[in-house]
Amino acid sequence: MTVKEFKLPDVGEGVAEGELVSWQVSPGDTVSEGDIVAEVETDKALVEVPSRYDGTVQELFAEEGEMVPVGDVIISFDVDDGVESGDAEAEAPDTEGEPGESTDEAKTDTEEAATAETPDGRVFAPPSARKLARELGVEITDVEGSGPGGRISEEDVRSYHEAAETHDETADETPVTPGEEEAPTPPSGAGASETVSASDSPEAMRETTLATPATRALAKELGVDLDAVPTEKTRDGEAYVEKEDVRAFAEREEEEAGTEAGESATAEPAREETVPYRGVRRTIGEQMATSKYTAPHVSHHDTAEIDELVETREELKQTAEEKGVRLTYMAFVLKAVVAGLKEYPILNSELDEEEGVIRLKNYYNIGIAVATDAGLMVPVVKNVDEKGLLEIADEVQELATKARERTISPQEMQGGTFSITNFGAFGGEYATPIINYPETAILGLGAIEQRPVVEDGEVVAAHTLPLSLAIDHRVIDGAEAAKFTNTVKEYLAEPTKLLL
Amino acid sequence: MVVGDVTTGTEVLVIGAGPGGYVAAIRAAQNGLDTTLVDRDAYGGTCLNYGCIPSKALISATDVAHDAGNATEMGVHADPVIHTDEMQEWKEGVVDQLTGGVEKLCKANGVNLIEGEATFVDDSTARIAHGGDGQGSESIEFEHAIVATGSRPIQVPGFEFEHEPIWSSRDALDVEEPPEELLVVGAGYIGMELSTVFAKMGVDVTVVEMLDGILPGYEDDVSRAVKKRADELGIEFNFGEAASEWEETGEGVVVTTENEDGEESTYDAEKVLVAVGRQPVSDSLDPEAAGIEVGDNGFIHTDDQARTNVDNIFAVGDVAGEPMLAHKASKEGIVAAEVIAGEPAALDQQAIPAAVFTDPEIATVGMTEEEAEEAGFEPKVGEFPFRASGRALSTGESEGFVRIVAEAEAGFVLGAQIVGPEASELIAECALAIEMGATLEDVASTVHTHPTLAEAVMEAAENADDQAIHTLNR
Repeated sequence: MTVKEFKLPDVGEGVAEGELVSWQVSPGDTVSEGDIVAEVETDKALVEVPSRYDGTVQELFAEEGEMVPVGDVIISFDVDDGVESGDAEAEAPDTEGEPGESTDEAKTDTEEAATAETPDGRVFAPPSARKLARELGVEITDVEGSGPGGRISEEDVRSYHEAAETHDETADETPVTPGEEEAPTPPSGAGASETVSASDSPEAMRETTLATPATRALAKELGVDLDAVPTEKTRDGEAYVEKEDVRAFAEREEEEAGTEAGESATAEPAREETVPYRGVRRTIGEQMATSKYTAPHVSHHDTAEIDELVETREELKQTAEEKGVRLTYMAFVLKAVVAGLKEYPILNSELDEEEGVIRLKNYYNIGIAVATDAGLMVPVVKNVDEKGLLEIADEVQELATKARERTISPQEMQGGTFSITNFGAFGGEYATPIINYPETAILGLGAIEQRPVVEDGEVVAAHTLPLSLAIDHRVIDGAEAAKFTNTVKEYLAEPTKLLL
Repeated sequence: MVVGDVTTGTEVLVIGAGPGGYVAAIRAAQNGLDTTLVDRDAYGGTCLNYGCIPSKALISATDVAHDAGNATEMGVHADPVIHTDEMQEWKEGVVDQLTGGVEKLCKANGVNLIEGEATFVDDSTARIAHGGDGQGSESIEFEHAIVATGSRPIQVPGFEFEHEPIWSSRDALDVEEPPEELLVVGAGYIGMELSTVFAKMGVDVTVVEMLDGILPGYEDDVSRAVKKRADELGIEFNFGEAASEWEETGEGVVVTTENEDGEESTYDAEKVLVAVGRQPVSDSLDPEAAGIEVGDNGFIHTDDQARTNVDNIFAVGDVAGEPMLAHKASKEGIVAAEVIAGEPAALDQQAIPAAVFTDPEIATVGMTEEEAEEAGFEPKVGEFPFRASGRALSTGESEGFVRIVAEAEAGFVLGAQIVGPEASELIAECALAIEMGATLEDVASTVHTHPTLAEAVMEAAENADDQAIHTLNR
């Protein structure tokens, strides 16, 4: 048997780290090559990580919820030599996707990945914050600093600690009734099944216990009553306890407390709760901030009257269904938008400030914002101009499903030139969407409903689609925004025009 | 156990009363631990008795004489006369005051003091031998031990310090009658500091150094300022030579050196100061008896809590590895004592400053530009020359500069190199900046007193962003 280490592979373009969302295996489990061992959430998607080996899981190196840099060892396997030792060995470096890469080089890679943000593993934090982190048992490298350049303050350490505690259901502060606190589950009698070693030891609660000051300090820190720690060691005829005894006892305690707390969690609801700001949520936040603070947004609102589109869709729906496609309005909107973009290419652009140029794109990759449980994702339908309605409808459907199930690949969310957000799916008429930076425009769709419109001087009911276009005013002027919207409106009002 | 042994017990046994040991002992006692401090020689260790303090006393005293005699520019005309014996007396007074103070502080904090040489018996017992033969010994049982046995000067084979004309740095500091000519072997910081002292006493100083320059480990432009001043003081340098043998002549000695090609040179001198570095003192301790692992070079390996491979035994200071600096020893001593007391202490400092008390002084902390680059940072550097400092000019000493190294993105200060007047004092601000995670802007935006040398630190920080007022931004 040899031990094979497995590193978090590069799960997608430009992804430096991922959150280990869940382990699908435990130490001791037998796995075959290809079995899923973990789920990792990058800032772009949820990815399943398959095993490279046949063997037994030996050790897991990351906790669920931990951020793991690409290239860090996350799991090790006992691999049976007899079967395919040569094979396995040859394959080991392969995890990096670079055959022949030596372990040393791989290690360097790891370090580089791990220190992508602060070289040298350096943490910028004053000594007081570092000390507090040690006191609270917080790994300071995990803490995100709120100061300039990410400098970590005492407050950052404290809030990280609190968040971690809230997050951790088996945290030390699980409420325990006073009685339980006094007599920490004596390892005798009823519970004998699990604590064989403990029941062998002298009676649990002693009058006095000898220990070094450091051991006493540790016990105090861990909230352990020294007289309750089982031991067989003695000094001068008195029971003698050492640090490892205290640690082992505290760990057992915590495990048990964890189970109990799970059963009888009767705590009052907290006045505040903290939710970790990371993964997809943080990516969204950072993206939004970049966009909003970089591009001066202007919103333009209008309403398309789409009675004809509603009819057309009704007519085509049946045909589409026969081909196994659910024809949505979105497919029409995509076509109309591309028609508009072709007339006003400035809306299908990107501002390159460094080069001092505006890049107009002659391809039409339209992103569609999808609400998922993890937050907003924007899968991209590529080359919309080259695709038919059914093809587009099918692809939108597929991408949206993938996004919701978070099986979408990062590649499927890249390369957009313009985006659409269908907030109307949840109701509402108008919004002020935020541009999917570095694109320069985004179109928001309100709910399609019958609304009063004026026709030949009469107020009548008509199907309308409210449109909210946000533009980057550095690049696009209001007139262009309005003209573009008018074009889109026209195509939506007279969908047969799309055939031209 | 030896017959007649008395066995006592202590919670913490600290071996060695230098700046690592006595600080550890005081902190342990402050934390309520029963603490015993044992030393075979003198309170305060090398630092107070034979190192930092006496050398700085002599440096300052000879500076006074030298500066007074070289101030005609300022309109001061003087011809100072040095009475070496009186200077020694004054120096001893300073040392006595400080070592006496250490002893008092230990006692006042309830530290038990024992004189003697400690040897481990096992991982919970040490034997203390008092004084010379037949003076008796005692055994001490301890729960925790802190080894702080320090270091001693390295001896060059053939140039052992037991020979009368061969001086260690300790002998040099006790000089009663300066020699006519002094040959200094080694141009590291001890060699350079003492060469300067003796040159300022009027001694003819020649330095031989195996490497090709002075003060290895410092950047060229930093050491250059010191070399320039040493040249002005008349110190002669011979690089690329190693001392190979010496012989007594009528008036003194003649020392033979050899260069890489085997070519020999000879130097006449009255005394020879060998200052080629220091080595840890761990042999006399019998660390193996306690199971402590010692490296080939004599250093005891420790973790970031100053703990050795034996759980209840710690090692601090020179014996625990480079850099051999008193302030590093003290920090480690404090951490060891706190860890023993059950506190979550750790050696988590970002940087340890270092100073060389040459003329002009050198002080550094953290990374150089090159080191920052190697560590993966994109460095940003600012400099300010002392010749542009009003205060430096008005003290008559305007050699050198302040250089500050930061990472480019947020401007976090990563390091500083200072050569010039009071560099050893100025570096403290830079060390604080590094520990606090301060940025260049933080340093530049802090109002500094005018007119002071410290303004140079502020201006160097400004210069990194091309914002310095009193120098042209490059």
